[in-house]
Amino acid sequence: MGNPLFTIFKTGVITQRDMFPALSDDANGLPTVTVSPCPCNECGRCAKVCPAKAISVAGSAVTLDRGRCIGCNACVGVCSSGTLERDLSTQTAVATREELLLTSCPKPTTASMPTHLPFRRSMHIREVSTGDNASDLEVIASTNAIFDIARFGIHFVASPRFADALLVTGPVGRAMQEPLRRCYEAMAEPRIVIAVGTSAISGGLHSCGYAEANGVSSILPVFSFIPGDPPHPWSIIYGILMAMGRL
Amino acid sequence: MNHTNRNFKLISETPSALAATVHDWLQQPGRRFGYLTARVCDGNTLAIQALLLDTHANGGVIITAPLADGEMEYPSITDGVPAAHWAERAIGDFFGLRALEHPRWKTLILHDGAWPSDLFPLSPMSHGHRESYEFMEVTGEGIHEIPVGPIHAGIIEPGHFRFSCAGEIITNLDIRLGYQHRGIEKRLTELPWQQTCYLAESASTDTAVGNALAHAAAMEQLLGLDLPPRAHALRTIALEFERLANHIGDIGALSGDIGYSAGAALFPPMRGAILALAQLLTGSRRQRYYIKPGGVVRDLDDDRRRSIKKELSDIETRLQELLPLVFENSSVIERMEGTGCITRELARDFGLVGPAGRASGSDYDARRYYPHGVYPEHAPKPAMRDTGDVLARAQVRTDEIQSSIRIVSELLDNLPDGPICIDCQEEALAPDDFGLGIVEAWRGELIHWVTTDGTGAISRYAMKDPSFNNWTGLAIAARGNLVTDFPLCNKSFNLSYSGNDL
Repeated sequence: MGNPLFTIFKTGVITQRDMFPALSDDANGLPTVTVSPCPCNECGRCAKVCPAKAISVAGSAVTLDRGRCIGCNACVGVCSSGTLERDLSTQTAVATREELLLTSCPKPTTASMPTHLPFRRSMHIREVSTGDNASDLEVIASTNAIFDIARFGIHFVASPRFADALLVTGPVGRAMQEPLRRCYEAMAEPRIVIAVGTSAISGGLHSCGYAEANGVSSILPVFSFIPGDPPHPWSIIYGILMAMGRL
Repeated sequence: MNHTNRNFKLISETPSALAATVHDWLQQPGRRFGYLTARVCDGNTLAIQALLLDTHANGGVIITAPLADGEMEYPSITDGVPAAHWAERAIGDFFGLRALEHPRWKTLILHDGAWPSDLFPLSPMSHGHRESYEFMEVTGEGIHEIPVGPIHAGIIEPGHFRFSCAGEIITNLDIRLGYQHRGIEKRLTELPWQQTCYLAESASTDTAVGNALAHAAAMEQLLGLDLPPRAHALRTIALEFERLANHIGDIGALSGDIGYSAGAALFPPMRGAILALAQLLTGSRRQRYYIKPGGVVRDLDDDRRRSIKKELSDIETRLQELLPLVFENSSVIERMEGTGCITRELARDFGLVGPAGRASGSDYDARRYYPHGVYPEHAPKPAMRDTGDVLARAQVRTDEIQSSIRIVSELLDNLPDGPICIDCQEEALAPDDFGLGIVEAWRGELIHWVTTDGTGAISRYAMKDPSFNNWTGLAIAARGNLVTDFPLCNKSFNLSYSGNDL
């Protein structure tokens, strides 16, 4: 057997120093909407191919709901005008549900930064999964040596009693609504909720069924939305740092 | 019926003779219980359906037992076929049908409290009320209970474990899942078939490729499609990447639960290295929305093929250095050896699949028998152990890491030319027919069983995650072990909660 310590030393530091690097060019990313009236005269192909019903077209205005988008990028494939294109940024988290609505004809809005809370230096997080285990795996990946979320003072804790933030993945079907509520109530104030992944934000493909799996917002107030199905670990770290007021 | 799936014969049986027929049919070597479910036949009548696999014939049978109008009971088959015990309880939840003489009759997914007791989502009629869930009670001197969950301490899915213990020793474990039920099977019958692939792969998003492939295989039977060889090869690479990433992650997670920090630190970046290759191939680390009925959505150009090949060979070299750090470390081995044992007989009776089954002496690997990707033609030799403990399950994964790397390397060297997809979006599914996708996902045999009605619409979409078989295995393996070893037992199975709950 080799020496584990020697192997670790030989491996060296593998933690990424670049903050929130864009995804490499081979990645799909999430689609985005370029700001210019869509010239297609309601061709509507993008809305038709979208399996998540995330796109609406009205006249020359194309609106993409990143809170529903599953990132399949079928819309980008059929868009001939360049209105919809790939976005490789990992800085995708926002503080309000409205900011997830990207439109080609924007009304003047101000991107809201979250209210200031006393979590700037460190945040302890209770993770609750409700039906999207790929997002759980990406949250776990954010703790590994490559992303090393602990260097930012962010720690995942075993009990809601220790936690400042409740991080939720999955669409929260009926049977998880009460446990989730109780978990939140067990947390000391101030406390916030972070929704990670499309299904946590809106229920995604699961929404509107008999299981009432329509996302976290229908149960608890959400402070930070991290879109993606699942989001990249860097997107998750970005969203948590945003909630901490560190950006 | 059109019988697009000619390796599966259709048999009709009466509900009262079902148990005996299923039991007798399974007595030949190479035969296994696949799944048991119900569906709505014309109008309002229900039928019980058993899917039985004959691995020697690369096929099997589907036995349909129609119930008389208004009949809400049938004799349980669990007594002779223990592997059916959860399936019968699921039928109870979703169709309101009661399996008479079932040894532990209670709800499986739709428990009281969270769900209306008169909700039977897959049945066209309403009937009565569901009884409440009773945990199995162990009595005796010094016996105490430890309830855990649904929310657990780690970053893991929700489920409730009720331990009955004598001191530190687990005497019984009652596993109550269902917390993540999202109504996927019902929703899949409400969508046009072209849109079902996205939801089908969301059943358990850590098995996106396995689910997408099982869905595609079922749909392609109903569409009568023969895929170009390049599509099969690319799908296989994606499937093996998913197996590699998760098996490597599991070795790291086992190290973590043992308290072996070096393993817990060194393996996750290796999993990340595989995910990077997966992204090169499919555009996303979790390989989401890559496989669709008809083929795959993006081709692999020669540059990326070469980079994957080179990276993979570096990963293999690195793993040869890392794996001995775990498997030649006596303190790690001592924690795994003899912990969480499940015997060959119990593994067979309860139909354990995947690495958990093969660690208990089963040679069943769906890649050897059922068409998906380049299989069964190029199936690897099954990785097997017979001690049935945590160590055996870890060793099976290690063997499979090596065979998956070999399979992917060979495919990259001999990637067939040609198209990657057949456009079938305008086609209709065969009416009154069925499609069966049976895939060896990283956790084991995954089944998507799709039935169409007279108009070619999906009338029943049944899914069986490998975890559905294996949760009982975990309950058995935990018995007689220390409570403190339970996390290790659990991790050695690493089952999907959401794939079970649907």
